[in-house]
Amino acid sequence: MRRVELFRSTPLRLAFAFALAMILLTGGVFSFVYVATTRAWIAQLQHVFVDEAEKAAASDEDRLRGALSLRLTRDFRRLNYVALYDSSGALVFGNFDHRPDIPVDGQARVVDDFRAAAGAEPEPTLLVARARPNGGVIVLGRSLDEVATLRRILARALSFAILPLAAAALAIGLFFSRRTASRIREIHRAIEAIMQGDLRARLPPSGIEELDGVIGSVNLMLDEIERLLGQLAAVGGNIAHDLRAPIVNVRATLEQALAATPKGDSLRAPVQSALRQIDRALTTIAALLRISSIENEHRHSAFCRIDLAALCAELQEFFLPLAQARGIAMTLAAETSVWRQGDADLMREAIANLVDNALKFTPRGGAVRIEAYERDGRGVIEVSDNGRGVPVAEVQDIFRRFARARDGADQPGVGIGLSIAGTIARLHRMELSVADNGPGARFILREQAPKGR
Amino acid sequence: MSKSNQPESPPAAPEQAVYVCEDEPDLAMAIESELAGRYRVVLSETGKEAMAAASAGRALLLVMDRGLKGADGLQLVEELRGKGDRTPVLMISGMSGVNDRIAGLRAGGDDYLVKPFAMAEFSARVDALARRLSDTPRTVLIAGSLSMELIARKVRRDGREIDLLPREFKLLEYFMRRPGLLVTRKMLLNDVWNYRFQVESKFVDAHIRNLRHKLDAPGEKRLIVNLRGEGFRLDAQG
Repeated sequence: MRRVELFRSTPLRLAFAFALAMILLTGGVFSFVYVATTRAWIAQLQHVFVDEAEKAAASDEDRLRGALSLRLTRDFRRLNYVALYDSSGALVFGNFDHRPDIPVDGQARVVDDFRAAAGAEPEPTLLVARARPNGGVIVLGRSLDEVATLRRILARALSFAILPLAAAALAIGLFFSRRTASRIREIHRAIEAIMQGDLRARLPPSGIEELDGVIGSVNLMLDEIERLLGQLAAVGGNIAHDLRAPIVNVRATLEQALAATPKGDSLRAPVQSALRQIDRALTTIAALLRISSIENEHRHSAFCRIDLAALCAELQEFFLPLAQARGIAMTLAAETSVWRQGDADLMREAIANLVDNALKFTPRGGAVRIEAYERDGRGVIEVSDNGRGVPVAEVQDIFRRFARARDGADQPGVGIGLSIAGTIARLHRMELSVADNGPGARFILREQAPKGR
Repeated sequence: MSKSNQPESPPAAPEQAVYVCEDEPDLAMAIESELAGRYRVVLSETGKEAMAAASAGRALLLVMDRGLKGADGLQLVEELRGKGDRTPVLMISGMSGVNDRIAGLRAGGDDYLVKPFAMAEFSARVDALARRLSDTPRTVLIAGSLSMELIARKVRRDGREIDLLPREFKLLEYFMRRPGLLVTRKMLLNDVWNYRFQVESKFVDAHIRNLRHKLDAPGEKRLIVNLRGEGFRLDAQG
């Protein structure tokens, strides 16, 4: 998955293009060096040769022969070929037999396939032919095999250089591509966290200037969204808070009135009913306040080492008597300690809400199972039942604050409990999800993957 | 309304009073009328009179709201404890966070009740504190026919040994430290289980049923009785 992504990524394609460009450019530079060097060198040689031919043509026969043979033996590097023809065109002196087909004008020319002897290899040679005053012709030649040597050396150097160069260019490209990809992944992860409701998360800086500008803007936007949502939540909390005081006072008044009303009085029943309704309202208000206080307090300061398995065992003990009384088998699978940082009171509350919820939906003869375990380094708590389960369409709905399964309308406070559990889960970097248990439902509190993976 | 859980013996010297430091008049009045039948009640809106009375030994118990007009209840209690005064204090507060609760208890509050609360709940806690039940260092608790050895962890009813699970033992101990007094479900949740959240009463009831089942042999009188809508009481005469 990730390998495919890497090859698809634009940075990697750019890296390939970069490597190719580097290779072409280097080849070009080598070619330029070759051409420029040989041209300058040959031009210089031509200049010298023209000069030399002029001098040679002017010399008298005997001195010329002596000088040439001396040059051929002593100064081999600068003069390879000499041929002296008399006025009839016969070779008088020289070390090649075949007269090259060049005009006798004293100009130096490059002949690419000059053969000194019939069986010799053709090679590029600089040749000059000049007429002598006695009617003869002198031809001087110089092999240009250095040019070929230079070309070979350059070609070898290029071939040695090109592989490491291509590798280095690719490696650099790969490095940047990976770096960019990992930055983008980090940004993506941050966005996922935000989408999952962690509005305090922000996008990390990418180290790419243009992108950082966008990231900065997005983060500012998130600040604003968080502020607005905070205000919204505060409004809910404030309303609940303001409603509570008068309702509490009404409750106290009714309680007093009830106490003052003699037994058998016809007013007792309606007052008792009013008290029950008020208690329901107070439960909802308390839950609203509870959720907003969990959300706002960010009580990481109160976190300490807690054993999720021990908490599950403790809650199983707490719920067991009622489950037994209702003929519901309540089992526990939490043999191995799962130590985590957390708030024990809140975690208890979250698990208790899940167990309470499971018991509500499990009929007599059913079973509720509490599990705590660690998988892939992530702590997991599962509460499963074989009751009526959760309709798929309502799975998302069920996590919304105060929603409840439609046919659970007779069961008060299901949604409240799950909302509280979900809120506590988020505070502990855990996710609350629900799965089909066929039959029944399985509520799973699972730690999110550790950051930086 | 709580006449049923009136303590059997007068809990306090007659000159001592319960000082209620509460600046919400409605709540203050509700508290006064709740306690008036059993205690002398003095309202102290700013807490000043209460502090003076405690220092002078005239306070049986302080009911202290954390947020008073012009005063911080938490600070007053801290001040009081700083002077070495051990007058029981019941903190009441609208702040329900665990940290708030811990702060309240650390400042020297003996109990902490979060608003809103039922009057019966409040009453039960006042009664428990007025009798200073929690700080009696004893190794054997006796309530009627029940005896409990705290170190050997043995419970007997009329000499018959009763086998209890650790949690049941703790539950019964809580009752035996408050014989004849109302014990609310919330008190049990908070103090026996250390749970700070609301659960429905049926879960606690199931534990009580199990405990009763072990305490009461067939034909025997029920020792832990239900007080409808309020909680339970251990019958000390049983």
